[in-house]
Amino acid sequence: MIEILSKLLHNFYYLIAIILFVIGFHTMLSHSNLIKKIMGMNIMETAIFLFFVSIGYVEGGRAPIIQPGQEHIYVNPIPSALILTGIVVAVSVTAFALSLIVKIYQHYGTVDAEEIMLIRSRET
Amino acid sequence: MDPLATFLPLWIIFFPMAMTLIIYYVEQFSEKLRNALAVLTSVITFLSVVALYPFIMGGDIIEYTLFEIIANLGISIRVDILSYCLALIASFVWMLVTIYSLDYMAHEHAVNRYYPTLIVTLGSCLGIFMAGDLFTLFVFFELMSLISYILVVHEESPEALRAGYKYLILTIIGGLALFFGIIATFELAGTVSLSVIGMVTQDTPLAMFAFLSFLIGFGMKAGMFPLHVWLPDAHPVAPSPASALLSGIMLKTGAYGMFRVIFHVFSVDLMRDTGSTTIIAALAIITILLGSAVAITQDDLKRRLAYSSIGQMGYILLGIAILNEQAMIGTIFHVFSHAIMKSTLFMVAGAIIVKTGKRSIKELSGIGREMPYTMMAFTLAALAMIGLPPFNGFLSKWTLSLGALDAGNPYFVVVLLISSLMNGVYYLPIIIAAFFGDHEKEFTVSEVPIKMLVPIGILALCTIIFGLSPVNFPYTLSRMAAMLLLQAGF
Amino acid sequence: MTSLAVHFPALVVVNLLICSFVMPVLDRWKKNLVIPVALGSMALSFVFSIHLAVRVSVEGAFGYAMGGWVAPWGIEFVVDHFSVFMLLTLTGVGLLILVYATQDLVHELKEDVLGWYYTLYLLLMASMVGLALTNDLFNLFVFVEICAIASCAIISIKENRECIEASLKYLILSAVGSGGMLLGIAMIYMVTGHLNFTHVTEALPQAFELYPRNIMVAMALFAAGIGVKAALFPLHVWLPDAHSSAPSPSSAILSGLVIKVYAAVFIKLFLKMFPWEAYEAIPLMTIVLIMSSVGIVMGSMFAIVQEDIKKMLAYSSVAQIGYVFLGIALLSQNGTLGGILHIFNHALMKSMLFMAAGAIIYCTGVRRISDLKGIGTKMPMVMSVFSIGAFSMVGIPMTNGFISKWYLAIGALDVDKPLYVAVILLSSLLNGVYYLPIVVNAFFGEHKGNFQMSRKLPLQMAIPLIILASAIIITGIFPRLMLDLADKAVLFLLN
Repeated sequence: MIEILSKLLHNFYYLIAIILFVIGFHTMLSHSNLIKKIMGMNIMETAIFLFFVSIGYVEGGRAPIIQPGQEHIYVNPIPSALILTGIVVAVSVTAFALSLIVKIYQHYGTVDAEEIMLIRSRET
Repeated sequence: MDPLATFLPLWIIFFPMAMTLIIYYVEQFSEKLRNALAVLTSVITFLSVVALYPFIMGGDIIEYTLFEIIANLGISIRVDILSYCLALIASFVWMLVTIYSLDYMAHEHAVNRYYPTLIVTLGSCLGIFMAGDLFTLFVFFELMSLISYILVVHEESPEALRAGYKYLILTIIGGLALFFGIIATFELAGTVSLSVIGMVTQDTPLAMFAFLSFLIGFGMKAGMFPLHVWLPDAHPVAPSPASALLSGIMLKTGAYGMFRVIFHVFSVDLMRDTGSTTIIAALAIITILLGSAVAITQDDLKRRLAYSSIGQMGYILLGIAILNEQAMIGTIFHVFSHAIMKSTLFMVAGAIIVKTGKRSIKELSGIGREMPYTMMAFTLAALAMIGLPPFNGFLSKWTLSLGALDAGNPYFVVVLLISSLMNGVYYLPIIIAAFFGDHEKEFTVSEVPIKMLVPIGILALCTIIFGLSPVNFPYTLSRMAAMLLLQAGF
Repeated sequence: MTSLAVHFPALVVVNLLICSFVMPVLDRWKKNLVIPVALGSMALSFVFSIHLAVRVSVEGAFGYAMGGWVAPWGIEFVVDHFSVFMLLTLTGVGLLILVYATQDLVHELKEDVLGWYYTLYLLLMASMVGLALTNDLFNLFVFVEICAIASCAIISIKENRECIEASLKYLILSAVGSGGMLLGIAMIYMVTGHLNFTHVTEALPQAFELYPRNIMVAMALFAAGIGVKAALFPLHVWLPDAHSSAPSPSSAILSGLVIKVYAAVFIKLFLKMFPWEAYEAIPLMTIVLIMSSVGIVMGSMFAIVQEDIKKMLAYSSVAQIGYVFLGIALLSQNGTLGGILHIFNHALMKSMLFMAAGAIIYCTGVRRISDLKGIGTKMPMVMSVFSIGAFSMVGIPMTNGFISKWYLAIGALDVDKPLYVAVILLSSLLNGVYYLPIVVNAFFGEHKGNFQMSRKLPLQMAIPLIILASAIIITGIFPRLMLDLADKAVLFLLN
């Protein structure tokens, strides 16, 4: 038990990433408000980013800017570089989703998925 | 091999198909030319089949592969005596039916759809008989089944469409069953070529499934119980010449498929050992009795004929189940006999419909006096159906019974006798009423046109000729085919 | 020329990307150039693909380092038999759909977004081609995201309520899928330290011994992520709305190509990358088999009850993607071959059927299946083409649907799973139940004046239909063209 706890504590980045992921995922699935769904999606993605970046973190490492004549421990730069791309992608998906929600609001006058369902079922 | 012998089967299959396109093109301008071309095509096809006679009698088996689609699977041609028997009778009846159609269809709608369909079905039907492997057979089988849908729903009436839908769904089920059978055979044997005898040698569960799916696939087409449900709906709603072909020829493709499955995919020994013959025999007996019994209750003439077809196909299945020489001769000869008899009967029914518009048997009393020649033809064919000597129907039943006795199974003979009795019960009243019945209402009809009468007459005469004549070449062919199959089987 | 030919693997993607970004500019200042440039770039990519296919068949598989940076540092494209198979399918069918789109879109979209449609279309094509070629996990993720955004956008570009809603649903679910895939990539990177497929493949067996859980989680995440995007039952919920409400060319490309690309990604990851030992630890392939079989049957069942023709086609896609996954998951040579071949065959069939449905809607405005009675006499060409597609769906011999079914069935028998043959047969029957009545009613049904021919079918819409229909027949009779490629691809994957 203590062993597991110490392992978790040691890797608390991962633990937090997983908790965030679950929060995001749950928000996304359980809320009917579309804006909240998008928020959940963002939290979920952030969790993944945190997870990915923390893979590359080395205890006591510093930014990998190599200066001649100095030996240091460096953080693995690849995950950070990748996640930069990932953030860009996530932002564009969010922007696109939000613009769609604006359109939906124009059509239905609400951003609540359940109300939209109600409106549609009343029409048919 | 003689180049002509190589070329002819290909020509026989693809000439009607090519002509279909020409007919389709020509009919936009001229109806006369269309009719002429349709008849010409069927005549030439028949003559081409006849031209193959010397090669086949010489004992040749013509076989070659056209092209391969994927490894070990392609389109190939194989003509042996059995193929030839079926091709001969098919093209012969088809020719007569095409001639008969000229006047019959004259007052029908959508004739421009009818003729191309008729001719392309001829091509695919011959393709089934001359296929060199199960895959080719399957391709033509599906082609024929799907295209004959157009013939079934020709009237486009609600009941035709309903019957057509039933037909279509069962055709697809049958096609899928065949697909599984072929796949399983391919998996077990690595080939589906009919030049291999006994592709499957082991009695495995998969082989059993393959057999059952072949039985479903071909049995569906042959109107075997319990897959016959489409037949009594689909055959009567089609125009009469099409019914004649559906009942006379296309049912036989199912029987032909069963021959090939039993003798080529499996072997006679394997069939006996696994008890598969018992399954077929049981189904055949039910089919015979059910078909004949239900036919008695039908009032619609064409429906009665359709049920009678089910009963008659049961004879053929029974012969397959007995699996000895006499029975095989009887079965193959019955393919000839039934094609001739049933086509005659359907064409007569068509003639009556053309002239009187009546389909109900009750209303037909006295019609024999107005249309004597037509009803004479009906009488001949009906008597042959019952199996009275000296008609061809008698000969096939006689040979079948001999086969049953050879196999030590007299019960089959009893079944045949009961069925003959039932045939008598539902055919004889029609004949008696037609000639001796009272006129309820005055018929104001005359005899049908000569172009309809001649095909009916020729076929009706065939029932006597092939029962009586000492030089009975269908019988000879059947015997040769049976010998060849059984030799190969043992 | 020869020096340029070296760069074809990159150019096939880059050319589409560049042209895609040029589109809005042209749309603003040189409107009449938009269509020719879009078509030109698609055609160019098609030519490049053919060149690559020829080169692969002569030289065998080869790699291409982006910007000259070799594998562990740079992004690598690998051109092997499987990727050229996908390339040919994508660019060939994509070109035909684009030709069709040039006319069809005029009546479906507002005029000011027409130019943008081509941007999105080319972007989508570029991402799919990239997915087929890439050999780098993170690059794969980027293409997946581009593909997701572009495919949602070509639905929502038709700004009616259904499209916006369907598009949002699709976007959210596919974001979940992408998230899963990214997490999976993180897991893989964690244990191997590589992103390049080749290096990951080498490192994974050893890593599996040390960290089996990480890899199993990664596999599960990838399978779920791809499952959502490829609409593998029961993760298909977004598909019917999205594919049926979109403009017809979008439906054609989404159903015909986009969901297949994810199947291709699945093949790349699971057949090439993950070690075989992992499949002994979790029965992933069995799960996929069950999911796809249920999908095959349920997709067809749902399709039977649909009244809208495009919705019916969309549900049919759910069933058909099941075939592809069924074939892959059988893990026998013939089964996988059937699955891969079905990617191509179904791309032809389904895009053609959607385009035929689009042509009917274009000319008459009718979408309800029951209103289509008697349409065969008014639009004989379109309905004949539709019938060919329907026959191919049922798997009538001499159409390409039969060939894929043949290999799938043989594959299932090879590994002693005849149950899946029964699934295939049942689904063929169900396909018959919902496709054939349409064909029958179109030609034999009574025309009750339920539609009017308001427009004639333009040539640009008719020609792709005819080409695809003949392709279905030709590849049904002479399947060797694609079969050889697929065969080599399978040998390479399963060796």
